[in-house]
Amino acid sequence: MSNDNPQSGAGRPLPKKEADLFKNVIKFYESKQYKKGLKNADTILKRFPNHGETLCMKGLILNSMASSEYGNRGLDCKEEEKEKVEEAKELVKKGLMFDMRSHVCWHVYGLLYRSHRNYPEAIKAYKQAIRIDPNNLQILRDMSVLQIQMRDLSGFRETRLKILTLRPNNKVHWLSYALAVHVCGDPEGALGVLDNYMNTLGESSEEFKRGFESSELALYKNKVLSETTSSQDGGNYFDELLGVKKALKHLDEIADVIVDQTGWLQAKLSYQLQLGMFDDAIETCHLLFWRGSTEDHRVHSAYMCALLHLDRKTWLEVEKLRGTTTLATFRPLLDEEREVLLKAYGITPSTTNGSSSQHCSADGAMTKECLALAFPKSAAIKRIYLTLLPPSSAEFRLAIDKYCQRQIVKGVPSLGSDLSSLYLMEGKNQESEGRLILARDPVDVKFHPVYCMLVELVESYISSLTTQSTFPNDSIQRPPSVLLWAWYLRSILHEQSAEYAKGITLINKCIDHTPTGVDFYELKARLLEAGGDIQRAADVIDSGRDLDHQDRYINNQTTKTLLRAGREDEARKRISMFTRHEGNPEQNLYDMQCAWYELELADSLARKGKLGMSLRKYTAVIKHYEDFHEDQFDFHAYCVRKVTLRSYCDLLKFEDEIWGQPFYCRAAERIIQIYLGLFDAPTKSQSNEEPDYSKMTPAERKKAKNIARKKKKALEKKSEDSASGVIKDTSKSVEDNGSKKKKPHAVDIDPEGKELLALNPLEEAQKFASILIKHAPKRITSWALHYDVSVRRGKMLMGLQALHRMIAIDSNHHDLFARIVDFSQKLDSRTTTCHAASEGVILSEFPKLLDGKVLSDFIKSTLDSVQADPLSSLPMRIVLAKALISSNIATQSECVSLILDSKLSGRFVTMTTCRDALEFMESMGKDAIFGKRELMTLIISKFPFAKDF
Amino acid sequence: PSGGSKENSLPVDFGLINGDNVEQLKKINQACFPVTYNANFYDEIAKKPDENLCKFAYWNGFAVGAICTRLEPIPDNPGRNRLYIMTLGVLAAYRNHGIGSKLVSSTLDYIIESETEGKASTVDEVMLHVQSSNTDAINFYVEKFGFEKGELVENYYKRIDPPHCYVLRKKLR
Repeated sequence: MSNDNPQSGAGRPLPKKEADLFKNVIKFYESKQYKKGLKNADTILKRFPNHGETLCMKGLILNSMASSEYGNRGLDCKEEEKEKVEEAKELVKKGLMFDMRSHVCWHVYGLLYRSHRNYPEAIKAYKQAIRIDPNNLQILRDMSVLQIQMRDLSGFRETRLKILTLRPNNKVHWLSYALAVHVCGDPEGALGVLDNYMNTLGESSEEFKRGFESSELALYKNKVLSETTSSQDGGNYFDELLGVKKALKHLDEIADVIVDQTGWLQAKLSYQLQLGMFDDAIETCHLLFWRGSTEDHRVHSAYMCALLHLDRKTWLEVEKLRGTTTLATFRPLLDEEREVLLKAYGITPSTTNGSSSQHCSADGAMTKECLALAFPKSAAIKRIYLTLLPPSSAEFRLAIDKYCQRQIVKGVPSLGSDLSSLYLMEGKNQESEGRLILARDPVDVKFHPVYCMLVELVESYISSLTTQSTFPNDSIQRPPSVLLWAWYLRSILHEQSAEYAKGITLINKCIDHTPTGVDFYELKARLLEAGGDIQRAADVIDSGRDLDHQDRYINNQTTKTLLRAGREDEARKRISMFTRHEGNPEQNLYDMQCAWYELELADSLARKGKLGMSLRKYTAVIKHYEDFHEDQFDFHAYCVRKVTLRSYCDLLKFEDEIWGQPFYCRAAERIIQIYLGLFDAPTKSQSNEEPDYSKMTPAERKKAKNIARKKKKALEKKSEDSASGVIKDTSKSVEDNGSKKKKPHAVDIDPEGKELLALNPLEEAQKFASILIKHAPKRITSWALHYDVSVRRGKMLMGLQALHRMIAIDSNHHDLFARIVDFSQKLDSRTTTCHAASEGVILSEFPKLLDGKVLSDFIKSTLDSVQADPLSSLPMRIVLAKALISSNIATQSECVSLILDSKLSGRFVTMTTCRDALEFMESMGKDAIFGKRELMTLIISKFPFAKDF
Repeated sequence: PSGGSKENSLPVDFGLINGDNVEQLKKINQACFPVTYNANFYDEIAKKPDENLCKFAYWNGFAVGAICTRLEPIPDNPGRNRLYIMTLGVLAAYRNHGIGSKLVSSTLDYIIESETEGKASTVDEVMLHVQSSNTDAINFYVEKFGFEKGELVENYYKRIDPPHCYVLRKKLR
């Protein structure tokens, strides 16, 4: 706050002595000496109790005092603090009423809103303050930060322009304004601003010398330049690539000031590819490789695009790939493309293969042609080579053999999952058409050629290592650990194809061989979990964890498994070994934004029917994402000051998309599901006391009942207290609660969980569904849930739209089928119709979703296609059977056989889907008893460790 | 174990046994010995970790063997101590790779080195008990490290057969 003169503007003047005191108030506020500030403010108020600015400042200070405590506690906002905050708000409002013409009051009002994250209101208050004091730089600056945070882009640009006009001699203001113009989608304008700024500089300015800031600025300007499109003469001539061409030329001009050589080369590479300058692009790739980018898969993707002369559109798509995905694992390669890439990546000049040795001669100039020879130490090049070979070829077998042997000798536990990324197959649904996707379902893995080859190879390793401690056709004696890792890999291969019992046999061998290896217990637990016995899985992994108390990874895995087994107390004990040792570990995990823990815990609580507590944990994850978004605040000013404008642009983009991150989606989806459940069956909210025991395993049930009993007792005790007429001091009871919190095992009746349960379920569900469809529109679940919410709100047209979006992602998805059937049935049974216009759209559009058939024919034709494919997924069979029943098309026994016919050999057969199938069988009553028994036999044969049916 | 020949000897690393990883020692001992050591045995080691006296041998990232010794006063000889080898075990799959020898010699080296470093050593001998039937172990100590086979102690063990053991000794001075 730069309120040097509190009497400026229309603020009411104070006498000299009080004016000085007021200055002190501001000083103390800024240096966070709140108590002193408060004392000074009170002194002024003694003489001038109605002085608006002082009242506001006092309120602001009180607010900061309360919220600094509030901030530290995070989840547990106490009543006491809420009261303080309310008092602060009242004071500020009162102050403002006394002095509406003071910019100080309005500024404080804005700051107050800001501290409560109510940014739109804060911006309004700032705007008032600026109306009174148009040239107040501090307020303008504060407001501009809020505007970019809120993505009020045009407002931001306006404010930055005002600031620049006020202080044109400051570099930061120039850059901020250029950036503002840029984010408003006007690269040409931004370029103009940057040029104007450069023109203000003298020739000897630092900006023209080599250095970090000048380098970053030049590269930023180059980026902006590449985004420009319009032609200079303003005619009809439009060249999309004009900016890219200019930017490429510009790169050469700025070469002297650049320190980020890699960034410079990467920009160049991208431009060259966009412009189809493939030979130059290849050259640039080599420069990047020699600079050390051999492990950067993006450069490899670019290299492949250049070698294959791929068009701009493909490159722009490929440029977005992340992780270890390259062009070769992104889409299927044509044979001739493969050949070109293999020549470039070929590993060694094999004596039998004339063509590759030709390209890999020892001649220095020629090594350029063969990456593997030029960079023998690069792991990425060797790994990428594997993805280029056709899986059916002898070369592939040879290469993968060599790769596996090396990793097994090294003892790389992740080899199994590393290799599983080679199980590529062509995408089957709308979203993945023309792409490569990973085979994940055991059914698909089992028959994948790469998988089959691996099984064969590893089997041969094991037999050879067992008999003579060598790899097949090899004479080197291997240490005992090699057989161990071969077994381990074989066990993982069993896991991947759902052969759990066989996997266990092998992993037990590993444990007997080296009982000190933590990895083996982890895999055993995974096999047990997938094979149906989560409780034993938790015990096994916990015994593995006990081997090394400093291994955080195994500790986390143990915690996760315990949570999945519904053993929250044990889980908390385990993870607490790695949290701070004072205070409540749960709070500490919240502070560390440990989302995976909260998600697993919330899942577990939801399974037990403790919906309030579960919602509370999911909401904690949502809060983390709000905090991530909030964290941007730190960067708005910082990045511009440090001139890291390119990364800042990336940050803004990342933050815009943050609500589409998988963890956020998971939390939001579950919240929606819980609320929809509450909406459908409102009595469930009482299940806080009486969880749904029927779905639990006996162990879980026992535990849940125990907890319920404890809770009941605690409740009774409480009501006794209040009944006996003891009126407790509220602040004291809050303290009691606080001290209880510190004991990790206190069963606390959670107030916030109840608050969440008391909200309007449909409104909450709608809130999250609309976030998901906006930020995660490619997830089919987003639209499925949006549908669920919409039809419950009676918004049939929105529901229909959601169905259309689902079709565009995966037209064969069981979630879609179930909803089309549901929609049709709802349409027939509803009592009210929509608005005439919507009604027209629905009546003309919906029949298309049924392929123009009536519902029963649509279901029948789906039945035909499901029955024609023995691999049809189990969830699809279940929803289909339900549809058959609900529309009276088939008998119960026909539905039973629809599920049993597959012998559970189709896709998506997991313990969860099997339980769903069982539940469905049970719902059909007596007639399905035989089917249920048969299903259980099938389940046991698939999931040998399954219990508790 | 007759000890590993030179060519298949594994280059092991040594590591401290402490409260965080003592369970691994338990696993190794359970796999190697017919005798079950009580919780007290492990607690003592975990309580006073000393890498010179108790250590793991690591190969390929896993603990595959361990030696546990202690310094104890020699009765009737005040001020003089001996090194007593409580356990020495290598997982079956890793035997014959010289790991046991490395564990013993690194412990002996420590005793001898601390002497050459100028500190007057108080350690006069190394001693252990071996089950009377365990000729492999007896040969291991006698042939490789020059231990002397001493007296037979009858009924030293309670739960294993034979219950007798030999005392093996190596005089350091």
